[in-house]
Amino acid sequence: MIENYLHLLSITILITAFMLVANKRVNEYIKTFQLQSLLLAIIAGILGVHHVSQTGDWEILLVAVITVAVKVVYIPYLLRTTVRKVEYKVEKDFFWNIPISILICCGLVLLSYFTITNIEDISDRFVKIFLINSTAVVLIGLFFMISRKKAIGQIIGFLVIENGLFTAAILSTNGMPMIVELGIFFDLLTAVLIMGILVFRINESFESIDIDKLKNLRG
Amino acid sequence: MLTTNQIIFSVMLSLYTLSALCALVFYRKQRLANIVPNILSGTGALCGIWLSLTQLIGLQPEQVALIRWISSIPNVTVNLSLDKLSAFFLFILSVVNVGAALYSIGYLTHYYNRRNIGLFNFCFNIFNITMIGVITASHMIFFFIAWELMSLFSYFLVVFEADSSENQRAGTIYLIMTHLAAAFLMIAFILIHQFTNSWQIGGSLQDLPPLIKNLLFACFLIGFGTKAGIIPLHIWLPYAHPAAPSNVSALMSGVMIKIAIYGMIRFIMEALGSGFQWWGMVILIIGIITTVLGAAYSFMENNIKRLLAYCSIENIGIILTGFGAACWSYAANYPVLGALALLACLIHIFNHAIIKGILFFGAGAIYNATHTKDMESLGGLVKSMPFLGVFMLVASLAIAAIPPLNGFVGEWLIYQSLFASLEVAPLGLKVVIMLAVAGLAIGSALAAASFIKMFGISFLGLPRSTRAKEAKDPSFTIILSMGLFALLSLGVGIFPGVLVRLLDGVVYNLSGITISGELQGDSFLLYYPLTIGKNSLAPLAVLIGGCFITGMVFLAVKLLGGSTRQRKYITWDCGFTGLTSRMQYTATGFSKPLRIIFRIIYRPSRELKVEEGVSPYFHKAMKYVVTTQPVFEQFLYRPLVKGLVDFAKVVKMKVQTGSVHTYLVYIFVTILILFVYFAAS
Repeated sequence: MIENYLHLLSITILITAFMLVANKRVNEYIKTFQLQSLLLAIIAGILGVHHVSQTGDWEILLVAVITVAVKVVYIPYLLRTTVRKVEYKVEKDFFWNIPISILICCGLVLLSYFTITNIEDISDRFVKIFLINSTAVVLIGLFFMISRKKAIGQIIGFLVIENGLFTAAILSTNGMPMIVELGIFFDLLTAVLIMGILVFRINESFESIDIDKLKNLRG
Repeated sequence: MLTTNQIIFSVMLSLYTLSALCALVFYRKQRLANIVPNILSGTGALCGIWLSLTQLIGLQPEQVALIRWISSIPNVTVNLSLDKLSAFFLFILSVVNVGAALYSIGYLTHYYNRRNIGLFNFCFNIFNITMIGVITASHMIFFFIAWELMSLFSYFLVVFEADSSENQRAGTIYLIMTHLAAAFLMIAFILIHQFTNSWQIGGSLQDLPPLIKNLLFACFLIGFGTKAGIIPLHIWLPYAHPAAPSNVSALMSGVMIKIAIYGMIRFIMEALGSGFQWWGMVILIIGIITTVLGAAYSFMENNIKRLLAYCSIENIGIILTGFGAACWSYAANYPVLGALALLACLIHIFNHAIIKGILFFGAGAIYNATHTKDMESLGGLVKSMPFLGVFMLVASLAIAAIPPLNGFVGEWLIYQSLFASLEVAPLGLKVVIMLAVAGLAIGSALAAASFIKMFGISFLGLPRSTRAKEAKDPSFTIILSMGLFALLSLGVGIFPGVLVRLLDGVVYNLSGITISGELQGDSFLLYYPLTIGKNSLAPLAVLIGGCFITGMVFLAVKLLGGSTRQRKYITWDCGFTGLTSRMQYTATGFSKPLRIIFRIIYRPSRELKVEEGVSPYFHKAMKYVVTTQPVFEQFLYRPLVKGLVDFAKVVKMKVQTGSVHTYLVYIFVTILILFVYFAAS
């Protein structure tokens, strides 16, 4: 019964990934990421409540709370301040136009489907679907990093990849050990902080956050 | 419970280590930093001689364990053992080191107040320890570590006088080549481990698939060959030797490049069991090319130490010719022939180490006295440095293989083994062996010519510079070290049987064949023929006969010629009365005929610059420059280096573009390919 809801949610996460690729403005990227993280937190919450009711194990519920705190509230806040501080220019941020990007993403989902169905050791039908969806999210995140010029795009892409991995982990294993989860959260926070500072530096040095300009650094 | 061997070995190692530490401790007091470590390492070397002789004479079991220490980290073990082959190389190392220690005491004085003697002695002793490690290692990883440390410390010693850019360049070339060698050795060791699942040296590898055996052979040949200095991998030698201090050159040329031969014997012959017949042929052909070209290049050099470096290459060629013949014979199942050739090869290794010791010591002493390595500004040294002159003459004769000196014995045995294999070889190989004999002959002749040039130009005639005129015989320890080696050279030359019997055990261990049975007579009798087949060698008889005939002729002239009166006078100059040193034969002029004959190898170019004076018949100044092209550098290494640099540039421009997106695309594409690969499989 619970699997049906989780199935629905994992597909919504995939759809938010598509939304992200279709976004044109930097602020919209952050909003979409927030939405995706919220969906992720809901998945963790459902699983958490399920676990508490069945075994009294509250660890996944805690993960859900931390996810809300870190990914839905704090990181988007950080990103917004970063965006506000750098020079704002309206310019085309993507290499390929949106429809082509969406088509490529569809291809990625197909690839993920064919690869995951090839794994014979996964007997559970739902786990297979979860894995297909979350692997596709990872691939789309990576593709998003490639397709955007501004440094914020790379940060968001990175976070989306992480979301994909997190979904895969939590849905297929019923939650990793607590210590691993906490480690990942800290990792993520530091990464975003450092990348935020880097964005400032890039903006200062090149008066733009178009990372293609980093080419000039080459010796 | 420690055996005697283990005690002597530990004493030797600790003496070397102590010596290295003392050098560092006393580095502010240069006299102490020179004398104390050298006395210690000399004593260590004497221990080494004792240890290796007891092992060689055969009072000990076949292989004795020396140090065995296994750490808890996997594969980090020190496992040293000594069999007869190792003992022989330890013997060479120790003999050369006794001389080097004596020599260093006198030689290093010229670095006083200029360089850090303590640092030098530290590196020198660590270099010795690492060489001992390579020789005695019975664990491949330890062997490799010792090998790399040996390369590294010899590099430090080569660039000891680091303030000249020429020396730095020499060091860099050496470092690059030696790492090339190490890379091939590493491949070989990993391959062996993959197939045998053991890091032990000495296990048989004869059951491996033929392809792997061939691959291993190629790796070992290139890896050890680079260190030994086979042509065309020799380019580091002529740069490194002139740059290095002379005691280091003596050790590098006398011992270190021989350790590469040790590796070849250990791995190609012992472990791989000589493999296939073509291996021997390849080694033989490489040996011949190295001999002829090495000697040919050595003849062209006017820098004494470069001449000696090329001479080392030539001798490695001779040694490899013997080794190639041995490999072929074993592979073709003629073990007696193989044993003979291997014996010849080992004897020549020993002889060359001794002779090269004298020659490099002498070259260093000449440089100290005259501050030049260029023969064109030497001359007449035999009058100002009589002892040095005599010892250099002995060494020059020995390396030109003139009986009754030791160089003759090894080469004679190599000729004998080649002639003997000529009788049994198939037609194709017959041609190769005949060419090999001819090549050895040409090589020997060229070597003789280059040492006539070396001795004639720098020791005879009139001094070409004031420094050469004012030179004095070097200090006592230098003379002593060279004299000891010269005596040894003469001794081995007159009584080759002693060395042959000593090495017979080594060959017996490797092949199960003893050559001593073929020997007749006794090493200490007056008449000692070393009979192999129908030919025999009796250096002592030759010596006595020669002395006898000379004495008779002298007496006859004295008796028949009546009374004569001697008068010492200057050279007859047709009444010109103004002979100067500039009217002598020069080193460049001496090598001219060969430059013309072997134009194709040398590709000489010359340039004559004339500064005209009042009339075209009286020039103010003339400058004549002859250069020979370093063919291998020009046509092999330059294009290779250029290709590499170009490739690196392309990579930098096209692959490492500096764009973050490109790098992301690389990751993306890799992941996609992995996905597709997984989906398809």
